[in-house]
Amino acid sequence: MIALENISLRQGSFELRDINFELDAGDYGVLMGRSGCGKTTVLEAVCGLRKISGGRIILGGRDVTQLPPAERGVGYVPQDRALFPTMLVREQLAFALVLRELGQAEIASRVDELAELLGITALLDRMPEKLSGGEAQRVALGRALAHRPSVLCLDEPLAALDEELHGEMCRLLERVHRETGVTILHITHSPSEAKRLAGCHFRLADGKVTRDE
Amino acid sequence: MSDPAPVGFRVASDKLFLVGMAVLGGSYLLIIGAMVLADVVFLNYSDQPVLGPEMVRQGRYTGGEVAVPLETGRRYYFRKGQNDAGLQIGEQRIDSDGLFRAPGGQAVLLPNANDKPITASLRPEARVTQIAVTNQVATVTTDVPHGLLWGEFIRVSGVGDPGWDGVREITDTATNQLSFAVAGAAVPAAKLSLSKPNPLVQALRSRDIRFSIKLSLISCTLTTLLSLWVAVPIGYMMSRFEFRGKPIIDTLLDIPIVLPPLVVGLSLLILFRYMPEWLSDAVVYKWPAVVLAQFMVACAFAVRTMRVTFDQIPQRFEQVALTLGCNRRKAFWRVIMPQAKGGLLAAGTLAWARALGEFGPILVFAGATRQKTEVLPTSAFLELQAGRTEGMLAVSLIMIAAAVVVFVIARTLGMKRIFA
Repeated sequence: MIALENISLRQGSFELRDINFELDAGDYGVLMGRSGCGKTTVLEAVCGLRKISGGRIILGGRDVTQLPPAERGVGYVPQDRALFPTMLVREQLAFALVLRELGQAEIASRVDELAELLGITALLDRMPEKLSGGEAQRVALGRALAHRPSVLCLDEPLAALDEELHGEMCRLLERVHRETGVTILHITHSPSEAKRLAGCHFRLADGKVTRDE
Repeated sequence: MSDPAPVGFRVASDKLFLVGMAVLGGSYLLIIGAMVLADVVFLNYSDQPVLGPEMVRQGRYTGGEVAVPLETGRRYYFRKGQNDAGLQIGEQRIDSDGLFRAPGGQAVLLPNANDKPITASLRPEARVTQIAVTNQVATVTTDVPHGLLWGEFIRVSGVGDPGWDGVREITDTATNQLSFAVAGAAVPAAKLSLSKPNPLVQALRSRDIRFSIKLSLISCTLTTLLSLWVAVPIGYMMSRFEFRGKPIIDTLLDIPIVLPPLVVGLSLLILFRYMPEWLSDAVVYKWPAVVLAQFMVACAFAVRTMRVTFDQIPQRFEQVALTLGCNRRKAFWRVIMPQAKGGLLAAGTLAWARALGEFGPILVFAGATRQKTEVLPTSAFLELQAGRTEGMLAVSLIMIAAAVVVFVIARTLGMKRIFA
């Protein structure tokens, strides 16, 4: 579950105030808004990558406002995916698990499991520069899911994909949501995408978040 | 629908623009290549004869020909100047530079034009007339003054004994005598011939220059390691964090680049007047001063390079790593540094190359003491001061070779990263 209570933050001359919204555990929330209205900023605040000047952030029933990103239990897929250029796909998926000092066997089985879920088993030994846009998106998704976060933050995950891949990724996201039960916060500026992925719709405009029914 | 570009619209040809750029760029590349090539070509790689004093008297061609008496069977070295046409010996005419064996009689200098100064040179090759060996040191007497100096090197050949033949260091000289160590008994003087090894061999054999090569390699490597050690954290902080006074620090970091190098050396020298005595005794005019002088300049370049490197790595990588369970330290070592390897290599190479060429600050702050604070640029300078252009060139070639080797190593390592 994600709850933002009276969040306010500022970045230069840009300012958001008293942002409130709540997403139940296991829900698929879509946050919509025009380019530049601060969607990404809200997402970064949830992940702990941006300091907030007031309010509380609650993830999975815990107040994480003061916690560093590492301890919030979030998976983050930025818009540009930001796959680590020096690591194999396998290493990217294992990254969060290695940090948690799990055993090798455990890591390997989790990586295989993720690869199967996302259909990237054949890509495990590639470098990210050899991946297509859709493949890179799947790997980024896998990397964010590896440590079983309670919340998954997706920043325009479908923006750079062509029509065909778009549909495929939508189905994949639905499947991931169904099979992992993770709470997803998905940012987009496309109303059709939002409609398609169902769940709860939020709209960020003029520094306020409203819930569309 | 709007129409395409209106009929009759033409874009001017880019030919001139492209050719212009190619010419400008090309001429610079050409100069770089020619410059290095000139050094390599200019040096005379063959051994030179040991020559006696000049036989051509100073003066002008005044209508008559200038005659020089020659000794039959002796070899002479002739060098033509700009006002000379050649040398006439009986029927034989010599008009190119080099050694020749005299048939005897008189050599007559031929002018290009009258009333010009004589510019030719004619010198006899020194012959060994006597050899004495005591305590494994050979003292060789030549029939004419040989002009060689203590500490120079001489190539001995013709004996056929490895105890004699080879390049030997001259340990003592007199006008007509020179001594060097040998392993073997005395040999007949007639068998022995002496020549001067080429400047590169001379330089590589010289104890002073060997020391300066060693000091240069060690101090440059030390400087590079120190520079990277400092440049990585500074570059990272300047690239990632915003804080008050950042523009001031940015300016301070550029000071060693902007300041004349000599001033850097002088400033260090003055700074160490304020240091405790034990510290300045240990540093000033000693080898640590060499490293410190190199470091002050080289590090500024390494910092710049590392900052650009980190600037080019988006913050996004760290952010993702943070959400995956890293703290800043782990994100830095696991995600950022692996990506910065290329930049690190570039910064290291740049620092090394700067350090190798550093001269002014070292001269001021560390001095130019042979076998103590002498690095390769100092050697080149000392050679030049001693009037040995060839020696300076030889030292320059050693520096070029060292730089090339380091660049090739850096490039190869860089390639490995790309192809891995």
